[in-house]
Amino acid sequence: MSFFDRFKKKDNKKEEPKVDNKEKFAVKKDATAPSLCGCGAGKTAESVEANYSKMADLGELLPGAPPGGKINLAIYWAAACGGCDVSILDTNEKILTIGDMANIVMWPIAADGKEKDIEAMEDKSITVSIISGAIRNSENEHMAKLLRKKSLIVVSYGTCACFGGSPALANLVAGGSKEILNYVYEKTPSTANFQKDYHPGKPIVPQTKCTVPEGDLTLPTLFDTVKTLDQVIDVDYFIPGCPPLQESISQLLKAVVDFAYHGVALPPKGTEIGVTQTSLCDQCPRHKEFRRITKIYEPFQVNIDPDLCLMDQGILCLGPATVGGCNARCTRAGQPCRGCYGPTLEVQEHGASAMTAIASLFPVLDDDGTIGEDQIIDIMSTIKDPLGYFYAFTMGKSLIKMAVKEKGGQ
Amino acid sequence: MADFEPRIVAFCCNWCSYAGADGAGVGRLQMPTNFRIIRTMCTARVDPEFVLRALSKGADGVIVLGCHPADCHYIGGNYRARRRIALLRLILEQYGFDAKRLRLEWVSASEGEKFQNTMTEFVNTIKALGPTPVQKEVN
Ligand code: SF4
Ligand code: SF4
Ligand code: SF4
Ligand code: FES
Repeated sequence: MSFFDRFKKKDNKKEEPKVDNKEKFAVKKDATAPSLCGCGAGKTAESVEANYSKMADLGELLPGAPPGGKINLAIYWAAACGGCDVSILDTNEKILTIGDMANIVMWPIAADGKEKDIEAMEDKSITVSIISGAIRNSENEHMAKLLRKKSLIVVSYGTCACFGGSPALANLVAGGSKEILNYVYEKTPSTANFQKDYHPGKPIVPQTKCTVPEGDLTLPTLFDTVKTLDQVIDVDYFIPGCPPLQESISQLLKAVVDFAYHGVALPPKGTEIGVTQTSLCDQCPRHKEFRRITKIYEPFQVNIDPDLCLMDQGILCLGPATVGGCNARCTRAGQPCRGCYGPTLEVQEHGASAMTAIASLFPVLDDDGTIGEDQIIDIMSTIKDPLGYFYAFTMGKSLIKMAVKEKGGQ
Repeated sequence: MADFEPRIVAFCCNWCSYAGADGAGVGRLQMPTNFRIIRTMCTARVDPEFVLRALSKGADGVIVLGCHPADCHYIGGNYRARRRIALLRLILEQYGFDAKRLRLEWVSASEGEKFQNTMTEFVNTIKALGPTPVQKEVN
């Protein structure tokens, strides 16, 4: 069975919607005092706010161009959705500061610089290249390598570039690029009908090279595995987030401004910008109460209590395994963290870390000593699509990066 | 694939299964030599990342051995571990592994024989499955 068949066959039965689980948490409702148990103990609103990522102060206006002349800045998207580029624009009027300081030599979404312009530049003549998106085809790889050659500093911007992001989930399609192209161009209902009506028996699919009267046309080659930027080139700084917070980009700009105007040393190579030292739960203002999951709910199935940790409400949240930095923007809005900021600093395997945390929240049962392994599997199977859920953003950086195929043995 | 000799990583908890393995050795019980033991203080110390790391480096199978339910020296460590391992097996299946490549088993300090049987059985299971499907990094 192909990946997509499995996807379609997925049991789509809806869980009977839970009416309300407020009752269960009624105890908590009138307990206004900080909870006495768990990691929420003693946490005050102030300590949460103190952990809040803030905008770096760039100064209202910079004093004209830097002493050494305007620096060159390139912004590029590889396998990206464009959200990262938009997040750079989120710096609002600060974007003008960027104009004071830098010539934008390339920014496909907003400016005119082309590949040949970059090629014509001297090596290391671009001070900063900010690259978003994963590396998924030959063009992505070529441009990443070109910009690396021309730049002093390369910043891996956004979750796709840092960890593979959602594009890297394509690594789980066992048939690789071939299966993906085949599905997209020949199997989806709309393309299947189109091919049947217009190209019966001989479907039109994209070719990497095609000869027309005017000459050869080429398209980039789609890779079988989606890579992170630092798997292809050397990267100086990482800014995770899908997309990163404007606070993070302001911190990067501050470092570059200090460097360009005042010669202040840049942060050490490899620094992850815009993240905290602890997990997201530390930035999350919700109270941790029981920290036990007996039944899992999707956010739409329950009336979400605005003050209580989502895990206490049966909603799987990747906060405990995810590095802080986003100011818990999802959990503040009543949605669980999906882990876009990636693992905490000492951890490589984000998914395993989340899985470890969440599996231990399933309470020990009275008859735990006597029940069989099958029953445990039944309990854990209530987590739907664990691989997709725990690795939603970090498949590109995981230890086992792609689907495997058993050969069947003897 | 008659000459396939699997490489197996066995995580043994310090208090029961490692002692059980010792017992098997002292009792001179015969068993295949395809496994390397890594001692952890408790099965709960076995981070799923350890298992994934072993598999990503080419282990053909991973077995986690700990104290029987209710016997864990940290009270509930093995209950945590079995939930994690169960979830991890589901994840391995999604990757495309045969879930039999990861196993959790309880072996107490006095069960040298059970250790022998478990390991022999596991080695045979992996032999039947063949080498790991994980390919060497293509980059
Ligand atoms: S990290 Fe998120 S916002 Fe940025 S390119 Fe990837 S999907 Fe888009
Ligand atoms: S809601 Fe999520 S991020 Fe917030 S405390 Fe609970 S687990 Fe942590
Ligand atoms: S709460 Fe989680 S998913 Fe949401 S922005 Fe923060 S890290 Fe990303
Ligand atoms: S001490 Fe043996 S499983 Fe916990």
